[in-house]
Amino acid sequence: MKIQIDNLRFTYPTGLEALRGISLTIEAGEQVAIVGQNGAGKTTLVRHFNGLLQPTVGSVLIGDWDTKKYPVAKLASRVGYVFQNPDEQLFSKDVGTEIRFGPRNLGYSKEKIDGLVKRALALTELSDKTETNPYDLSPTWRKMVALASVIAMDTPIVIFDEPTTGQDAPSITRIAHVIAELRREGKTVITITHDIDFCAENFERVIALSEGQVLLDGAAIDVFGQDEILAQTYVEPPQLTRLGKRLGLKETVRNQEEFLNALKR
Amino acid sequence: MHERLSFYIKRNSVIHHLNPLTKLTLVLALILIAFTSPWYWTPHLLVLIAIIPLSFLGKVAPEFFKTALRLILPAAGFLFLMQAFFQPVGETVIFKFYFLDMTQESLMFAFRNATRVIVMVSAFTFLLLTTHPSELMSDLTRRGLPGQFAYVIISTLQILPQMQAKAQTIISAQRSRGLDTESSFIRRMGSLTPLIGPLVFGSLAEVEERAIAIEARGFTSKKVKTSLHEIPDPSSDKLIRWVLIILVIISIALKLWLS
Ligand SMILES: Nc1ncnc2c1ncn2[C@@H]1O[C@H](COP(=O)(O)OP(=O)(O)O)[C@@H](O)[C@H]1O
Ligand SMILES: [Mg+2]
Repeated sequence: MKIQIDNLRFTYPTGLEALRGISLTIEAGEQVAIVGQNGAGKTTLVRHFNGLLQPTVGSVLIGDWDTKKYPVAKLASRVGYVFQNPDEQLFSKDVGTEIRFGPRNLGYSKEKIDGLVKRALALTELSDKTETNPYDLSPTWRKMVALASVIAMDTPIVIFDEPTTGQDAPSITRIAHVIAELRREGKTVITITHDIDFCAENFERVIALSEGQVLLDGAAIDVFGQDEILAQTYVEPPQLTRLGKRLGLKETVRNQEEFLNALKR
Repeated sequence: MHERLSFYIKRNSVIHHLNPLTKLTLVLALILIAFTSPWYWTPHLLVLIAIIPLSFLGKVAPEFFKTALRLILPAAGFLFLMQAFFQPVGETVIFKFYFLDMTQESLMFAFRNATRVIVMVSAFTFLLLTTHPSELMSDLTRRGLPGQFAYVIISTLQILPQMQAKAQTIISAQRSRGLDTESSFIRRMGSLTPLIGPLVFGSLAEVEERAIAIEARGFTSKKVKTSLHEIPDPSSDKLIRWVLIILVIISIALKLWLS
């Protein structure tokens, strides 16, 4: 499902203009990472995709729906949004109920809900924890519950707000696995991240925001090549990209494979 | 934190730059004079020549009038009616409503009392609009008010907006997962029940965390503490306070002398 953002501006009630004219198109099935310094407006931007925030100026289209014309509860059938802080998102007394909450609200049949919940539990490796209270889990596993509760809604677009922040290595691997699985199913995945190596390994397209505007937008390889511009929003290219550059490699590399290939030549 | 923690409105005005204690003295002086002055029209005059001009001077007049219309006037109006009808003074009946008499004397009496209440509440509104509570409290603790006392006041002022903000986030999370908050009342109540647990326990946990945090910074230490945020108290402020205190003394003296 396509997302079209046209000249989006947003001002908070405090008078702060957090988004200052953003135009973007995200095609169905794209995997997009959004990077940029703290306060650049990343969270503010994605909160427009499911209608939690409404444009002050401009418009956001999700498929053929203008977010101004549909309530959040309705947009939830198209856009799943995993909050940055799972503690702001979880409220049920056990993991199973938590994960059923979304698909049940969307009015799916009982069989479909069962199937979706089971798949979400398996993907996030939570199958043995369905009876546990989310607040008895460690923060890493609470994050998984938050992920599962959104994946189970089976929306064509899924948004992750800083999924890897504060996570350990196994958890990051699990998150990468979830994203790969969503990609395989043809879903659009939009991820805000500060973890640039995670970004390089999992996303084809990178959008860099700075002070409420799009600084760079393009294939990851092109964006990482422009380190001077990226520095404006305090983003450093991945370590291997920087190392490749220092070694004088001709092309920009993102990961081990590309690095080794370039080195062999 | 972006939620509003108080009535305070940040503006750049002479009143905002006064020392908080000066503003507190001003408010208390206005109230004391309104209640002690022997002259009948004092409270009315105070509203007209002091409180309303001050709200303009403090650049908070729109908010001040909004609060006055919505909160202060209705309450004062109610008080006025009650006293006008039920105060058993005077003979000159000017209005009869079944068994209730309104005499000229009770009317005058009620009018003044209602205006006194208006002075009291609107003076405090003016104070709250132009003074951040934590600024007032840190100034008072610096002058010797026990820290525990300030803590209780500040945290009471904060707990409601904080819980409100938290409830708002949980509701956003539920709507993002397809909960139709515009749907039936029953369904909404059903979804609110699981909200109460995290809300109450989260808030309690926060109180404990905060207690630990402030203790880690030597809250109960008996030593004199320095403050990161210096609140200026120029001699002009001291002068204003003395003038106010003298006015209050004159008002009380006149009252005692005349009666
Ligand atoms: N609820 C809010 N009220 C007022 N200002 C806000 C609010 N949320 C965020 N902001 C401000 O908007 C700007 C963008 O914030 P945000 O979108 O959260 O940035 P990011 O997610 O890129 O770190 C920041 O300057 C932030 O302080
Ligand atoms: Mg953010």
